[in-house]
Order: sequence, then structure tokens, then C-alpha cells
Amino acid sequence: MRRVVVPSTQAHDRGDRVVRPAGLAETVDAVRTSAGSVLVRGAGTKQDWGGRVRDPELVLDTTGMDQVLTHNPADMTVSVQAGIPLRRLQEGVGAHGQWVALDPASARDGATVGGLLAAGDSGPSRQRYGGLRDLVIGVTLVLADGSVGRSGGHVIKNVAGYDLAKLVHGSLGSLAVIGEVVLRLHPIAPSLITVQAPAEARAATAAVLALAAGPCEPSRVAWAGGSAEEGRLMVAVEGTAAGAPAAAERVRSTLADARLDAEALSPEQAARAWSAHDADRNGTEGETVLAVNGLPSELATVAEKVHHNADQAGVSGALVSWAGVGMHVVRFGGGEPDQHVRAVRAMRQYADRAGCSTMLRRRPRQVDDLLEVMGTPPPSVGMLRALKNQFDPEHRLAPGRFGGWLGRDGTQPHGSGGGS
Amino acid sequence: MDRLRPDQVIDDKTSLRTYECDGLTGYRVVPALVVLPESTEEVALAVRLCAGQGVPYVARGAGTGLSGGALPVADGIVICLARMRAVLEVDVANQRMTVQPGVTNAEISKVVAQHRLYFAPDPSSQSVCTIGGNIAENSGGAHCLKYGFTTQHVYAMTVVLPDGSVVEVGGGFAEGVGPDLRGVIIGSEGTLAIATAVTVRLLRTPEAVRTLVADFDSADKAGEAVSAIIAAGIVPAAAEMLDALSIQACEAAVGAGFSTDAAAALLVELDGPEADCEDGYTQVQRRCREAGATHVRLADTPHERARVWAGRKAAFAAMGRISPDYFVQDGVVPRTRLGEMLRRMQQMAEDAGLRVANVFHAGDGNLHPLVLYSAAAPGEAERGEQLSTAIAELCVEMGGSITGEHGVGTDKACSMPSMFSEEDLRVMLRVRTALDPDGISNPGKIFPTPRLCGEKPGPYRPHALETAGVIERV
Repeated sequence: MRRVVVPSTQAHDRGDRVVRPAGLAETVDAVRTSAGSVLVRGAGTKQDWGGRVRDPELVLDTTGMDQVLTHNPADMTVSVQAGIPLRRLQEGVGAHGQWVALDPASARDGATVGGLLAAGDSGPSRQRYGGLRDLVIGVTLVLADGSVGRSGGHVIKNVAGYDLAKLVHGSLGSLAVIGEVVLRLHPIAPSLITVQAPAEARAATAAVLALAAGPCEPSRVAWAGGSAEEGRLMVAVEGTAAGAPAAAERVRSTLADARLDAEALSPEQAARAWSAHDADRNGTEGETVLAVNGLPSELATVAEKVHHNADQAGVSGALVSWAGVGMHVVRFGGGEPDQHVRAVRAMRQYADRAGCSTMLRRRPRQVDDLLEVMGTPPPSVGMLRALKNQFDPEHRLAPGRFGGWLGRDGTQPHGSGGGS
Repeated sequence: MDRLRPDQVIDDKTSLRTYECDGLTGYRVVPALVVLPESTEEVALAVRLCAGQGVPYVARGAGTGLSGGALPVADGIVICLARMRAVLEVDVANQRMTVQPGVTNAEISKVVAQHRLYFAPDPSSQSVCTIGGNIAENSGGAHCLKYGFTTQHVYAMTVVLPDGSVVEVGGGFAEGVGPDLRGVIIGSEGTLAIATAVTVRLLRTPEAVRTLVADFDSADKAGEAVSAIIAAGIVPAAAEMLDALSIQACEAAVGAGFSTDAAAALLVELDGPEADCEDGYTQVQRRCREAGATHVRLADTPHERARVWAGRKAAFAAMGRISPDYFVQDGVVPRTRLGEMLRRMQQMAEDAGLRVANVFHAGDGNLHPLVLYSAAAPGEAERGEQLSTAIAELCVEMGGSITGEHGVGTDKACSMPSMFSEEDLRVMLRVRTALDPDGISNPGKIFPTPRLCGEKPGPYRPHALETAGVIERV
């Protein structure tokens, strides 16, 4: 076996072999010439999500695959190597008045396009632009056996063949290595205005539904609160120099109708507010963070459950929601790991009853010893397993992610050869 | 429930012929049996029976597809979902709705129109095509430039897998956890699963709509206008172009008021909040004039707008006015290469001694070249078919795709290798193998097989409903 050791930028579990390929061919080479478990890592901002990969035999560091391959500004498409940090890509296309319409919190920490796609991560502008599933138009994958598969292409409208980008979206590196990605771009709106109002969860829910029923077409709708009784609603609208202020005024008046006292923020205030929002979504060291996805109309109920379950477990609870699309992040802090575990279990029980889906993100290491990393599997878990068995029959990729959902006992890495 | 009623099964030869083709009428295969289930359980029952016997099946909605995606398999059964037309739930607050797969695309919007909601994908066959078919094809429509395709507008599906099991995919809201299985199934042309209940995302109807038609003395200039509009940061709801032949055909058929002396007509529609829309409209007019528009017609009333769209959507059927027979092609090129593509096509048409009319979604580079020929003239059909295929494959050479919205189906399976390597196709087939290891769900579609690729497609003939004026083609 070839041993390629490249200095890792991050501390890792003892002596993993780290390979940092520069492109597809080297990625293929790395998986072909190795055996055993593989962890794909970009900037490493979401390594906790959905289960940690313990002691991988190979760490495939994608940060050497950081090039823009093609950008034709007039076609508003860009193709990149998967390891390029989103922030750097945005700077490049931004010079042409364009952006990848994605504003995830982790971009501040260098998150890569491939990592974001694998995690299915997005930002508050998901309200208007959707997630990466809606922005990726082509993808090139490297499978665990070194096969290379491309789907989609360089045009936005294209229905030829299966859409493999959807398959890896949210797969957390468990089905294939993402090698290259083609994205559609959007024009940067001339003006973005944020309107903010103090709002308890019930009033915020009513306001969010009223906004959706109205003609404003907001680009971000976020509610954050430490309890159901107090919080704040932030709504951003974008448009032309004339259109955005008109839309902001209508948002203000819609919120006023919901008895919320809203004001437009200055650009500096807005930048600070969204920065704080990002920090809230990320959580901090020592906190346990759980993503909960559900219906917009259930915002207040989720807020109440967070508050109640945190109280019961004796920890602090906070919620930050993309309220218009029902994508919440719950943070539990303070107390001991077993108290976090109790609060997470209670949230999962609520989620099961309400038909929400959940995923564990950041958490203290000790939480993993006390809590199964995933909640109740979805009804489609059999499909997931069948796909896993076809794409990665030896279960080499990211063992431990999704807990036991993917079949076998995914919590432990498999030995060299992975059962071959 | 362990059996279907007699009135849910069709097995007499005459009735079976109704199902022998979809909208691509050149391919015809009479199935052995057609079943008409009315519930998820009945679909699952039919699939389980097929799975047990290794019998292939093909799911079918309204049969309006243009790629032979619903072409039956001889000795196989057709599972026709046309009777599953119930609206199961309307959730106005969360702007979503759950329907059975046989509900038509237009019906969805009609049911919620009173709440100022609508379903965004709008394929031209929307008055009859079903949501189940939209899922199979990942349908778009004229407005997908701004609003995306079916995959952007479906939250969840109940599906019957090829082993007969019933599974929910997608959470019923924006995003679930784990791989996006709903996204894998949407656009898989009925080869992975049959959707039996669909939760769609509804949008609030836009506050304002503005539509104009600009005439140009060359298609290149019209293309430049589109590029200028998009470079100005405007995302039109639709940007459609007709060339001279198409304009003449449409005018002869519908009389939509297009200028018959123009070399190209560009239809641009904007929608959204009033202030943005008005601002964009002014800009679009200016960009069109700067690009050399010889005339700009503002379709400012709902009546005028409907007339303009009627002209645009009549294009396929209208070809009958200027040619006895024609092939409908569907390909995509990067928008900036539209002009070059049009010139290359023109040259290819001249070389083949045929005419090609063009009507297309200029905003996203999706071309619908119509290869005109006469079946009565010896050799023309063959030359026309070769030209049509060559055009689709040229799209790939230009960095595009063999299909933007009609699907691969039976028709283009043999062109897939022009776009994807054998290895790419093998990787895609792993998805198929995972969910349909025996290959009984809509076999022979999407992926090339030696048997299939020895056969020849036939010419485009309008679907019966199209001839009757019930549906239109974009």
C-alpha cells in the first residue's frame, strides 16, 4: 500500500493516513490503492453531523481540489473542484455581479462546496433560492471502488439520466466522494434590506404565515429566541433600488398587522444581526445542537417544546429557525452531557409524533457515549440501505454516519478490506 | 384487498390499443394487460404480482410524454393511474397540497386559486398531463427559467417500489434528513418507483405580470437581447423565441398577432412584486431596443397576454400548416451558444435538403427544433430523422444536453452515450439496481440496450388531444 502523508491542518485521531489529492485522477488513485474506512474531509466544519467517523484508515482531504474549472459569466454557470471554499468561489463570481445563491453559516469558517453538498447545508436565503439540491446542475462522483460517475451537465435545464447530485445531497460522505460540482449562479440583487421585530413565538408564527400568503417574496425569514415568550423575527427582502425599500415597507406593514413593531435595519446593523444569526445556528463548544425540520405553521410549538424540554432536563434551550421553510436549529447548553441527552431524546419524541425529521450536529464528545446518534429511521431507510450496498458495498465510506440507518453496525469502522 | 375488480382490468385487443403509445406516436407496442388501480394499495398489489412473476410494467398518466417514456412492453402490463384523481389534502397555511398521481397539473392550481396559490411547473400539456407524469419527467414548462422544475416543487411522495413495497420519501416539508431520495426519483422516468400520493409545494401567485413581444430582423439579435437582459441581473419568468418559420406557422394557425415579416420574435415575461416588475419591464424594453428590436409589442391586458401565449404554445401543432410531417426535437445548449447553434442547424438542414423551424426557451438555451419533411417524398423521413438526432447530439458537443424537458425515454436512449461515458451510465445503473434489481419497472427506457438501439423511431404525429386542440406543445 502506498503511504502518502501530508501534514494535516487539523488535529486528528491518532495517525490517520491523510491524502490530499489535487484532482479526480488522484482521488481515484487514493481510493483504489487503499483499503478500509475512508473519511472525506473538506474544511472539517461539519464532521460531527449525523455521527462521527472514528479512526478512519484514510482521510481524503479535499482542500487540494480547490480550483474553479470553468466560469462563463454570461451563461451564469460555474464548475468547480469540490474542495473549493464557498467563500472564495463567491469572491470570484461576485466580481461579475453573481453569486451561488447559498449563504451557510459555515462559509465563514471556510466550508467547501463539496462539503456543503454532502451535508445538505444551506443558509437563511434558502427561503428564496432553495438549497444546493436546487443549485447544483452537475456532479462528478468517485465511488469507493474508484469508479467515476458524472451526472447532469453544464446547462440549467437538463433531464438526461439520473440525478446523482440529489443522491449525495445530505449523504454526509457515505455514498461517494464528490469530486467536481457544476452550479447555477444568480445575479446579486442591487439591494437587500432587513426588517426586524421583537416577537414571541406565537406572534412570529402568525406573521410568518401572513408573509407567505402575501406578495412580498422575502428572501430570508428567521426567528430566534431563548424561549417561546421572547425572541425576534428578521425578514430580509431583496430587489431593485426602488423595489427593495417598497418590499421592506410592505413587510413592516404585514408585521404591524400581526401586532409586531418592526423596523428596517441599517446595512451595518443588518450585517451584525445576520452574523449573530449565523453564530446562533452554529452553536458554541459545549452545546448540543439538533436540527429539526418541519412545517412553518409549527414554529411556536417547536419553540415551546424546546423551552419545556430544556427546563425538564435542567439545561438552557434556544431555537433559531428559518421560519418560512420550517428548518430549525435547537441548542441545549449548560448542565452535564446526560442532561443534554435527556433534552435531545425529548425533542426526538416530539419530532416522531409531529412528523419532523432531526439530525444531531455539534455536541460534547461525551454525549455520543450516551445517545444513539440518529433518531427513529425514516420509512425510506430500506432504500437508503439498498443504495448504500450498491454504491459502497464494502461500507468503506464514512462508517458511523447515520448510525445504524445504513445497515451493518455503522458505529464502528470496519477492518482493512472492509469485508472483501 | 387482494384483487382488482373486472372493470379495473383491460385485456381485449381493441381497448389495449389505446395504450400502445404515448405522445411520441412513432413507437407503438400493445401491452398484454392494462390495470386501472384506484389506490396506493391497488398499485402495490399490481406491482407485487408483477414482481412475483418477473413481469415488466410501465406506469402511465395521461400519456402526453414526447419521448416514448410510457411506451408499453409487449407481454408486460401498463399500470394506468388515470383513475387516481383525488385531492387528498390542502394545507393553505403551509402552502402545500397532497394529491393522487392522476390529478392534472392544471387541476392543482385550479383547486387552490381561491387562496391565491398555484403550482409553478407549467408544461404546455398542463390541462391534461398528470402530476405523476410530471414527477417521472421532472417537467418544467415555459416559466421554469425563474421557478425551476417539478423537483423544486415536490415535498414528499408515497411511492410503490419495484418489489411492491410502499414507502414515503421526503418529509412533507422543505427538506428531510439524509440523501435526497425524492430528488433521485423525480425525473427517473418511471424506472425507479411509481408515485401514488404527492405532496406539492404551492407558490403565492405573483402580484404583477408583464409580457412583451419584441421583433428582430435576425435570431442572433434576439439572442443578444436575451443575454443583455440576463446580464442586467433580470431573471425573466419566461423568455421564448420563435424563428421566421415558426412565426408563420403560428400565425396561420392561431393569428396571435406576431409580425410575419420578422426573422425572430422574442416573448419576455416578468412577474413578481409590482415595483420590481415595473422596473424590470422598463429595462427589458430598453435592452430589446438596444439589441435592435424592430418593434416591441406590450401585451398589457390579460386578453393580450393570453393571445400571445396561445400563439407561442400553438407552435408544435401549427407546423401542420407549413409541413405535412415533422419531428419534434428537444435539446439544450448554453444560452450564449444559441446563435452559433442556430447557424449550424441551418447549415445541417440545407445539407439535408430539409427545413428546420425553431421555437425555444431562449432564457435557458432549451431548443425545440422542428424538422419538417414529407413522408410522401422518398427518403425524406429517414433524412429528417437523422437530422433530428444529429441536432440533439450537436447540443452535447456544444456543452449542452440531449433533452431539456421531454426526457430520454425510448426515443433518446441510444443518444445517451453521446452525453455520458459507459462508466457514467454504469454508476447511474447502480441506482436502478438498488431499487429495481430485476429491471421490471419501465424497462428499455433511458439506458441504451443493443436491442433498443437497433430500432428506428417514427415521425412526430400530433397526439389525438393535440389535434383536437385540447393540449398544446411547447
